[in-house]
Amino acid sequence: MTNEFPFEISPMFEGERVRKDDMFVELAGPKSRGFELVRAAGLDEIEDGRFNLTGPDLLSMQEGSRHPYAMIYRIAGKLVEPDLEAIVERRNHDFQNYIQGYMHLNQRYDIWVRISKDAVKKGLKSFEQIAKATMMLFKNELPFIEKIEASFITDPEEVEKQRADALKVYEARDARTKGLHDEDVDVFYGCTLCQSFAPTNVCVVTPDRISLCGAINWFDGRAAAKVDPEGPQFAIPKGEILDKVGGEYSGVNEKAASLSGGEFSRIKLHSFFEYPHTSCGCFEVVGFYIPEVDGIGWVDRDYSGSAPNGLAFSTMAGQTGGGKQIIGFLGVGVNYFRSPKFIQPDGGWDRVVWMPKNLKEKIKADIPAELLDKIPNEDEVGDLKTLRDYLEKKQHPITQRWAKEEAAPHAAPSEAVAQPAGAPLWSVPAGLPAIPQFGGGDGIKIVLKNAKITIERIILKGKEK
Amino acid sequence: MRVIAITGKGGTGKTAVAGMLIKYLTSGSGTLLAIDADPDSNLPDVLGVKVEKTIGDMREFMLQERDSMPPGTNKETLLESKVYEVLAETPRYDLLVMGRPEGSGCYCFANNLLRGIMDRVLKNYDLTIIDTAAGLEHLSRRIIRDVNELLVVTDGSRRGLQTAERSLQNL
Repeated sequence: MTNEFPFEISPMFEGERVRKDDMFVELAGPKSRGFELVRAAGLDEIEDGRFNLTGPDLLSMQEGSRHPYAMIYRIAGKLVEPDLEAIVERRNHDFQNYIQGYMHLNQRYDIWVRISKDAVKKGLKSFEQIAKATMMLFKNELPFIEKIEASFITDPEEVEKQRADALKVYEARDARTKGLHDEDVDVFYGCTLCQSFAPTNVCVVTPDRISLCGAINWFDGRAAAKVDPEGPQFAIPKGEILDKVGGEYSGVNEKAASLSGGEFSRIKLHSFFEYPHTSCGCFEVVGFYIPEVDGIGWVDRDYSGSAPNGLAFSTMAGQTGGGKQIIGFLGVGVNYFRSPKFIQPDGGWDRVVWMPKNLKEKIKADIPAELLDKIPNEDEVGDLKTLRDYLEKKQHPITQRWAKEEAAPHAAPSEAVAQPAGAPLWSVPAGLPAIPQFGGGDGIKIVLKNAKITIERIILKGKEK
Repeated sequence: MRVIAITGKGGTGKTAVAGMLIKYLTSGSGTLLAIDADPDSNLPDVLGVKVEKTIGDMREFMLQERDSMPPGTNKETLLESKVYEVLAETPRYDLLVMGRPEGSGCYCFANNLLRGIMDRVLKNYDLTIIDTAAGLEHLSRRIIRDVNELLVVTDGSRRGLQTAERSLQNL
């Protein structure tokens, strides 16, 4: 495969680095300018294998010098479409690194390339050879590319000019990608990085739901799963959609059952109260149910005070973490606030009743405008009574739920049901330690719906010896 | 590829030993990478090399800039490039400073990426010398995985010897 080129081509050169002293030239990089771009074109617009260069070629560059550098590839084929451009473009990094003596780092307008003196000694004379080798690899590895041509630029002015156009292309792509939602993909990605701490925890990462540590979005999951499908990030085929609003999918449920060791077998990805997504403990923000106002407050890791329910982040994190489905608490990544499906089965933003001011500031742009001054922070509200008054005064949408609740008939007798379902459990007055929840696993879950429990007296007895 | 880690209680002269070892070994042929893995970084000064940014800075950057990165950004490729940006190149050897330890966020993913990247970086050098604090943080976090030899530096004090013993146990 490599006979026609004066350099070897193999994946074993992938991590190869060219030291400053060993380099013939440096191209683009942090001290210069450049970009790489792939564009889809019509089959009749492209001449397969054509190469042209604007600016000085390799051997007319002085040894040890640095130059701006751009690589533009145009591809065509029956199956080629603009959405594939980014995917093909990312492979430029992989393929060019197969070339011995050629180092490629980063992507888009941050590319950084070095060519070694050794490579030149062995016969590398021109960028044409690099381009031809890369194009050959593209066609070999990505069979949907029927025709490909390359234009490289080393002339500084031309690089600048085309770079401006390239930036517009990247922007348009990003806008399309941001418009990607759960419905648009067939596969979600799971992450079990935290399982050493919480053995039953599996994060399901979707376009509308970032991992709760905040580090991994759907694209990261895809990239990582591709590189190491048996590693901590892996594909979860969606399967059938079982609940559109709550976000429940048959494929996800199957994976949940097998990876949690049977601990739970249903996940509603966007639900707070019904089969919520589990948490490990690394989440950035924890949501907590406040029964007194039937709303949900949120606390981020950096907030050191107590929430209106009297609990601190760390206490609630202790309740929520550990990889179990705990109703009443939910750990999420900050980015989840930006999701169009943010707790949608439970009312989304209309259910948010409290947030520390630093967190609010961080996501200000994503809070619906009409709610901005209706959600209090720690300066405005410090306890439950003040919270209720505040929400009442500001006419927060949550007050409509109160009206509905009061209109409904009082206290139906409690039902004991043999399967878990959604209603929130009893409220814990601030100050008392949290009552341990009935967990999953052994025996029956008892669910109380619309029950009002009054206790006249609690008698604490020491254990019979 | 050979990796030597030098550890010991602060103040016993380990950075001096590291520095002198590096100077001595670079008089031969072969490529050498020096890594300062002590959060209280001293090696660049001892070697007379100016280092602007550290790997810790780059790891923070990955966390801080997370939401402003273009949606499909390949974080591994980006972090790898950042590691090379902070790598200081001198005529005889290259120098990497690990820098500050983790902040309050979640670093599992960043560290996972870093592990793979450091594996690949080290493969480019015949010899790597790591000046590390007694806690062996980066080694215990397995960011740098394969150490062939451990040099433990101590003075004659009892505490120095205790620290030395603990370093061996930690490994």
